[in-house]
Amino acid sequence: MIKINNLDFAYKNTQVFKNISLEFPKGNIYGLLGENGVGKTTLLKLICGLQKPQHGSVTVDGLIPSERQPQFLQNVYFLPEEVITEDTTPEKFVQKIGVFYPRYDFALFNQLMKELEVDLSKKFNELSHGQKKKALLACAMSLQTDYLFLDEPTNGLDIPSKALFRKVISQYCSDDTTVIISTHQVKDVENLIDPIVILDRDDVLLNASFAEIIDKIYFEYGPERLQNAYYTEMLPGGYINVMPNTEHLESNVNIEALFNAVMKNKETIKNLMK
Amino acid sequence: MNNTLDIKRFGKVLRRDGLNFFPNLILSLAILWAIPVVIYLFTSLMPTDGTKNVFDAFGRINIIETLTKIAIIIAPARLYQYCNDSRKGIGYAMLPASTLEKFLSMVIYCVIVTPIVYVAGALAIDSILALFNGPYEGFAATYYFNEFAQIDSSIANHDVAGLLDDTWPIFVKNLSPTFLRILSLLGLLTLSSIFMFGNMIFKKRKTGKMIGILILLAIIIMIISINYVANNEALIEYFNQINENNVTEFIERMIFIWMNVALYTEIIVSALLLFGVYRKIKTQKY
Repeated sequence: MIKINNLDFAYKNTQVFKNISLEFPKGNIYGLLGENGVGKTTLLKLICGLQKPQHGSVTVDGLIPSERQPQFLQNVYFLPEEVITEDTTPEKFVQKIGVFYPRYDFALFNQLMKELEVDLSKKFNELSHGQKKKALLACAMSLQTDYLFLDEPTNGLDIPSKALFRKVISQYCSDDTTVIISTHQVKDVENLIDPIVILDRDDVLLNASFAEIIDKIYFEYGPERLQNAYYTEMLPGGYINVMPNTEHLESNVNIEALFNAVMKNKETIKNLMK
Repeated sequence: MNNTLDIKRFGKVLRRDGLNFFPNLILSLAILWAIPVVIYLFTSLMPTDGTKNVFDAFGRINIIETLTKIAIIIAPARLYQYCNDSRKGIGYAMLPASTLEKFLSMVIYCVIVTPIVYVAGALAIDSILALFNGPYEGFAATYYFNEFAQIDSSIANHDVAGLLDDTWPIFVKNLSPTFLRILSLLGLLTLSSIFMFGNMIFKKRKTGKMIGILILLAIIIMIISINYVANNEALIEYFNQINENNVTEFIERMIFIWMNVALYTEIIVSALLLFGVYRKIKTQKY
């Protein structure tokens, strides 16, 4: 379990987090959403131990990430947004790092490469940007760490690749694996993530499962714009209205509409979801 | 699980760094290996007055030693170029090994493996060139490991105790070949630790910046030393007493003092810089 308590973090003169507390229980695929620059990547870096909190604490299964102990590192893998590769094949790359991870599975790597339709024989620098991303995803998943952190994993992927991405994440992540996907492209991770964490500058606006969300928020698809809606958006054939679920009606979460509703009614929804 | 040093895991770190060693450093080493070949060709082609141009083995050993130092200087930035890079260094930071294991592996490759690989290659090339009837006479390899034993000057094996009074913290009593070899190896360790440290604190143009800092430090130390000597009447008085009868003793005394100062300085500087490298690996933010 990832526990963040009263975390303060700033880059020189820019405050990123101020006294935030969050918990990520094990075994879920979390969607870490937020506008550009709110600190999604920074939060992942703090959880991975690549940054150190200035105040407060971050622990992963009781271990302090910033100490970068092997016991911690062998259970986490961070796939950054920027594709950084070596002058080698993905196969050699994964073999080189895989030996450090106790549950690394080379057969799984081959299977994932096949499913993601990446050419095994090519070096990283011979692959396209999207192919490189998919190859690195296959590497990351074959390590079978308890925690997998993906920063904007769908950036640069074409539409079929985004579907493949969703497929392999939902299919190959075990029940014990905790995945945190940081993205601002919410459509790409629809039907994949649950719970959702929405970050704002200095603050956490939402940290709730789909069940908790639909219990309190109702997504109404209809022909007209409703006055009491937190957020309304025109869709082909009508409107989607994000409203308080006062009558405990069932609906399907539209992540993009939810995100926009939260951004427009920060305090209201934050208090509603408490 | 041992989070400080696990031999099996350390072996994996060594293997990983070893796999990066040749791809990252081979081109630089190849250029350095090529220099003795260029010198050979240049010496061969130089016009002569009828006698053969000869470049003796001792002269070539000096060149190989200089090039070894260059290999040591460039190795950290070639082998661990991105270890403190906020984007490209993430893989290194997240590698499941302890700081001590990563540090020891870095020291082994920069301080031990690099000079050994370079010297072995350079001596092999020298031996091949010496087989031809060219300017390279004798095998540098024959003398290389025995170099310090060849020193035949008035200072070698000279007892220093009589030269300096008891107030000097003398560690070295004589300049034996063993001591000179240790001092030479310590010098390589210091050189390597300086550039390993530079590699950890600078993000770009690491070697160049470190050389710049060393030049700046040398100038500052020189200015301070000259100032100190110029304003120290006792020293000036001492220098004034130097004449042709005691100049040899003065030079010997200076050499011994310098050797002792070098020994202490190299030990302290290496220890501090290596600790700095360890701390940077442990605390580097990305």
